[in-house]
Amino acid sequence: MKITNDKTENSETYLTIEMDSTEMEEASGNVYRRLVKQVNIPGFRKGKAPRPVLERFVGQERLLSDMLEDLVPRAYEKAIEEQQLEAIAQPKIEVIETDPVKFQAVVPLKPVVNLGDYQQIQVAEEPVEVTEETVDRVIEDLRHQYATWEPVERAAQMDDLLNLDVESTIDGEPYINQKGARYRLIAESQTPVPGFAEQLVGMNKDDEKEFNLQFPEDYAQSELAGKEAVFKVSVPEINEEKLPEVTDEFATQVEAEIGSVEELRDRIRSDLQNRAEDRTRMDFEQRAIEAVVEISEVEFPSVLVETEIHRLMEDQARTLRMQGLSFEQYLISARKTEEELHEELRPIATKRVAESLALMKLSEEENIEVEEADIDAEISRVTEDTAEDRKEELRKTLNTPQMRESIQTTLLTRKTVEKLVEIARDSGETETSQKEEK
Amino acid sequence: MHLYDVLRRPLVTEKNAILQMGGKYAFEVAGVATKPQIRQAVEQAFKVTVTAVNVMTVPGKERRVGRRQARTPSWKKAIVTLQPGDKIEFFENV
Repeated sequence: MKITNDKTENSETYLTIEMDSTEMEEASGNVYRRLVKQVNIPGFRKGKAPRPVLERFVGQERLLSDMLEDLVPRAYEKAIEEQQLEAIAQPKIEVIETDPVKFQAVVPLKPVVNLGDYQQIQVAEEPVEVTEETVDRVIEDLRHQYATWEPVERAAQMDDLLNLDVESTIDGEPYINQKGARYRLIAESQTPVPGFAEQLVGMNKDDEKEFNLQFPEDYAQSELAGKEAVFKVSVPEINEEKLPEVTDEFATQVEAEIGSVEELRDRIRSDLQNRAEDRTRMDFEQRAIEAVVEISEVEFPSVLVETEIHRLMEDQARTLRMQGLSFEQYLISARKTEEELHEELRPIATKRVAESLALMKLSEEENIEVEEADIDAEISRVTEDTAEDRKEELRKTLNTPQMRESIQTTLLTRKTVEKLVEIARDSGETETSQKEEK
Repeated sequence: MHLYDVLRRPLVTEKNAILQMGGKYAFEVAGVATKPQIRQAVEQAFKVTVTAVNVMTVPGKERRVGRRQARTPSWKKAIVTLQPGDKIEFFENV
């Protein structure tokens, strides 16, 4: 056996392995001995056919493929042992020649992570601010949500809610025919036809109007694009939106336990604050992680990216299934092939792998560990909110060794990120204090 | 009778595989073929020298077809001994 170590890059070693003739003979002998016991050749009892007869009967290709199946993995095992390589996953093997067998193996090695000086990382924190305007905006939205509709005796305006009787045709074929349809006038509304709402503005109660509208050429429903629709509309009722006054009663209506406008504003403010803080925290974490990757050298074999892509795709498929879509349907609607999606996910997957490797390394450097007790604590935290009758069941599923392991990984990541955040924040502070000293 | 019609097919069996080690090859041959014809046919077809030809008629076997008793046809087997060193490769299954 001749092993050539061609090159190592991106944590992948390229090996070319060439078998010599004695090994080839041994391997084909093995295949013969195994096959002859299995194959039924007319004229011979099982296991009694001589080699040339068997070879002719099963064919060269079968013998060769069987031999490769047997020979290549064993040769590969031996090769990585000889080269003292530590493979972390199955290699990519490509057979170059068959006589004698010569193949190339791409061995994925342990990723190399050289963390930069992460103690120096500092990420600027963005101040979280909830202004009174945003609170006002939320209250405005709430008013619209709790608005009532009252009939009015005036010409229709935008944002009114109309009762409509509609008759319409497209090319003589009936299109929409509806009595008492409720239609809200919204400027630039696309339904049913762009311009429809604008046509209705200015109509009075019980007015009738006929008009033509053309669907735009790029209309979403291609069978209607560019067609002209003839509408005949009458308006039996015009309703105006009555926004509730912002009073203590309104506050109570929004949330039963709230008694006053001031309380409502406080509640909204703190909700917004919490959400903004969550967002900034996540953002901060993400930027800290990115900063670590930035200053570090992370090298990993491409299999890791492939596995990550697969994970992402499976995740996506699962989400789609929950929406009642099959993965295939999604691909059709997104006009993508599976391969295209695969490639699209590659940059994200690469980034994720780099980040998680950097974090793992960081957790090693910082001696962050997750104790069994931590896992137990996490399990009870998760089960806390579930209904009493399902608690035990959930606890059982979470307590399997695989689940415990995945919980452990999650916790470890979380702890590491926390640590990182601390570092990123601390060094920022020390820096400023140093400046102050000067 | 043409020479090509003499040899019907080589017989590849366990027993014949053992015979082959002694340079003896078995064929099914036409029922009307004679020893000289077989010798000539083998020599021409495989470019070898034949030292002996033994022939025998293999009787057909009793077989049941539904309720009737039937007999598979008898056939002639020839065992050809080659000059030591000569070989026949059974590549085509004639």
